[in-house]
Amino acid sequence: MTHTKLYTIIYVVLFAFATIQAAVEGFGLVDESYWFAFWLIIVLSVVKAVMVAAYYQHLRWEPRSVSYLAGGGVLVALALTAAAAYSIV
Amino acid sequence: MSDLPPKSSIRRWFLTTNHKDIGILYLVTALFFLVFGGLLAMLFRVELLTPAADFLGESGYNQAVSTHGLLMVFWFISPFAFGFANYIVPLQIGADDLAFPRLNALSYWLYLFSGILFGISFFQGVTFPGGWTMYAPLNTPAYMPGEALGATSVVLAMIMFVAAVTLGSVNFLTTMYRMRAEGLRMRDIPMFSLSINLTVWMMLFAFAALLAALIILSSDHIIGTNYFTYQIDGDTFATNVNNPGSSMLWAHLFWFFGHPEVYIVFFPALGVMAECFQTFTGRRLVGRKWFIISMVLVALQSFIVWMHHMFLTGINLEIKTLFMATTIGISLPFDLMVFSLIYTMIKGRVRYMTPFLFSLGALLLFILGGITGVFLGAVVLDYQFRGTYWVVAHFHYVMVAGATALFGGLYYWYPKMTGKMYNEFLGKVHFAVYFIGFNLLYFPMFIAWETPRRVFNYPVELTVWHNLSTVGAIILGGSFLIMFYNLFVSYFRGAEVGDQPWEFATSAEWAVASPPPLENFDGVPSYASGTLEFLSPSDVAKRQSGHSGAAADGGTAETSPATDGAGAEAGALATTETALATGAGTAEPTGHEHASHASFWPFMISLGGFLLFLGLSGIRTGSMLYTSLALVGGILGFGSLVGMAQEPFFAPETAIAERWPFADVEKMKLGMWTFLASDIVLFGAFIGSYAFIRFAYGWEAWHHDLIPEAHVTFPGLVNTYLLLTSSFAVVLAMVAAEKESRAGVMASLGATFALGVGFLINKGIEWQHLFHIHTEAFPEGWAITTNLASSTFYLTTGLHAAHVIIGLIIAGYMFFRSWNGAYLGDEKPIEYFGLYWHLVDIVWLFLFPLFYIL
Repeated sequence: MTHTKLYTIIYVVLFAFATIQAAVEGFGLVDESYWFAFWLIIVLSVVKAVMVAAYYQHLRWEPRSVSYLAGGGVLVALALTAAAAYSIV
Repeated sequence: MSDLPPKSSIRRWFLTTNHKDIGILYLVTALFFLVFGGLLAMLFRVELLTPAADFLGESGYNQAVSTHGLLMVFWFISPFAFGFANYIVPLQIGADDLAFPRLNALSYWLYLFSGILFGISFFQGVTFPGGWTMYAPLNTPAYMPGEALGATSVVLAMIMFVAAVTLGSVNFLTTMYRMRAEGLRMRDIPMFSLSINLTVWMMLFAFAALLAALIILSSDHIIGTNYFTYQIDGDTFATNVNNPGSSMLWAHLFWFFGHPEVYIVFFPALGVMAECFQTFTGRRLVGRKWFIISMVLVALQSFIVWMHHMFLTGINLEIKTLFMATTIGISLPFDLMVFSLIYTMIKGRVRYMTPFLFSLGALLLFILGGITGVFLGAVVLDYQFRGTYWVVAHFHYVMVAGATALFGGLYYWYPKMTGKMYNEFLGKVHFAVYFIGFNLLYFPMFIAWETPRRVFNYPVELTVWHNLSTVGAIILGGSFLIMFYNLFVSYFRGAEVGDQPWEFATSAEWAVASPPPLENFDGVPSYASGTLEFLSPSDVAKRQSGHSGAAADGGTAETSPATDGAGAEAGALATTETALATGAGTAEPTGHEHASHASFWPFMISLGGFLLFLGLSGIRTGSMLYTSLALVGGILGFGSLVGMAQEPFFAPETAIAERWPFADVEKMKLGMWTFLASDIVLFGAFIGSYAFIRFAYGWEAWHHDLIPEAHVTFPGLVNTYLLLTSSFAVVLAMVAAEKESRAGVMASLGATFALGVGFLINKGIEWQHLFHIHTEAFPEGWAITTNLASSTFYLTTGLHAAHVIIGLIIAGYMFFRSWNGAYLGDEKPIEYFGLYWHLVDIVWLFLFPLFYIL
């Protein structure tokens, strides 16, 4: 599973996305349009996380069951957070 | 690795990693905690003879009730079930042992020492007095009598217990997905093993949420974070003012764990009931497939019903209605299971032996417990019943019904474990006295339901019912004298039994001697022909060659070094001489190597952990004793971990096995991913807690009110760059190992280590700066205890930093080994470490925007 070039491209993309996230704040978008900036930044984080999991952790090349295992943990955490927050709306 | 001494030697029980020995240790220890918790119950039942605190006193009553609940739920019932699981599951699925035997021993010793820490809390002034649900803010030091050191010890003991549970969950799941006998599909494994499989799935996720809750609570106890209390001015504490979510946060975290916990407790009992019903009716479980589907449904649904425990809190009506529906819905699969068991009796011919009597008794008790629970799932009825003895009666009818089945399991497998038959007459007498005592104890609580729960005072006209309960408690407790006498005497004088004392028992544990030999089977178990047979080494070799170099599961026949060990790093630390691989295809050990069964390090690690936690319980007092204990414990624990990592230990996987759905995922990797799934929930619960508190406070106001100007994005961005680069360095190390470049491996691992250290230094500088800012809004700096935002920031990023430190220790160790030429042409250990390190990276990818930008 030697994909040095692919790993490098992903590293560059991750680096760039992190920079964009900081730039969103640096250019004042968080102050001007908080919730637009919020979702933009969160989506970028999700994309970065998926890239790390898929390529650096090799989920892309593992049996699908391993992704379900990790996804199960994510689902559990999201269910707890979303339902708890909704309960006090 | 030292040799395993005989069972008569006390050394064996400190050294053993064999699953059957560990199972016995669990059973004996759990029974000790049954007596411990039972005696506490006796004390408060005596107290309740009159409606006044005239025996134990007010605080004594609170302590007895709280510790009884905690001991019974955590230290007795689940470990008792896992005594059977340890002993029986590998036998039932055709494995020689669990996947990671030393981790199994470590689980046990952590469990035992957590119980000892719990016991010590009684001698630290006042032990935990705040109810088994540990509601916060009630259970933070601000609202507890005295120094609350005993309470802190209990919280830390719980953390230690959860560590044991998590290791156990990883171990059982890896075992059951990698070591099943050839031809044994998941749907075909015996009912007890299936129930344990579903139980450990629930444990893996539910206990991670509890761990998050406990770490937060212990942080409030020890370092003074403000998750559950908010200090307004140094003297006055207030909740629901500046911290509106405080009490609900605990309730959400606890009950997100707490409701699956009910099924974590009950499922193994259900498995025992299914086994006993089949064996003693001579009939296969009616509707077995639907029984299994129902269990799977309950396991899934258990995570979406927790808010029915919170109907009397401030959650909104919509969510109450939704959770009422899910709660009522979860009773439906249970109905199917109950009817399946009843119909199995009708279709078969019942033999009323002791294990069956306990199983049948458990079913009857559970029916009553289940029906009365449905009342509590309905919002309107719950308004009336919540906080009363209705709840106490209901959950004892459920939980102790589970224990009832497990006692049946003890009689059922006693001949297998000892090779001796218990006295059947005394067994039946035990059941009769137990059943009468149980109902006399708990049924009057339904009648006296208006008694307020957890309070020693009650209306005088209910005295007669409470007195009946106390008499029932004495009878129930006394019934165990019969059991202990019977089992003890039978061990020496009982009739010898053969492999299979029960005529209609069919699962694989009955196909071996009683007690089974150290490595379980003479030959490799296989169900490929449709029935259980044991393959000789030549048969196995033929099967393997028949697969043209592929393993039974279709994986490739490559080998790679791996071993059991302390989590992920063990694979990295294994030596090829001592640990032949498991891998996608599994090779038989080719030389004269035999599986290892002994290690002293699990005991030593747990002892170190115990001393460390005991020290932490009192470290806030500044006492030299507590500080020294923490220091000694930390050094001992760390040194023992290194010792275990360096110890040669051989834990082979079965040569051919059924491994769906993880056929191509080698043992170490599956163990690692399973652990990471739990870690995802832990971090998820932490991030969720932050989001919940901030949401309750006011999402956007949070940033303006609570965070200083000096808390800027740049340090977080730099740390993001450092971690991303370190992740990249790990994958480069893997590539270099594949290319057998020693310089490349060393350079990449060295870079990973250096970048991780850089991350911590940068964080340290940032924290120091924030601690010492002087602004109008934060004249005393922005410290851990300053406000909600600072507490969530330092604790969440601190937990992440702790993960970085653990990763650095492993990376440093691997760098040292790579210096000596390790990993060349064998990148697996680096890959396993990378899985962990990349998760740490992923978590930071969310912490960075949440804590630095938004």
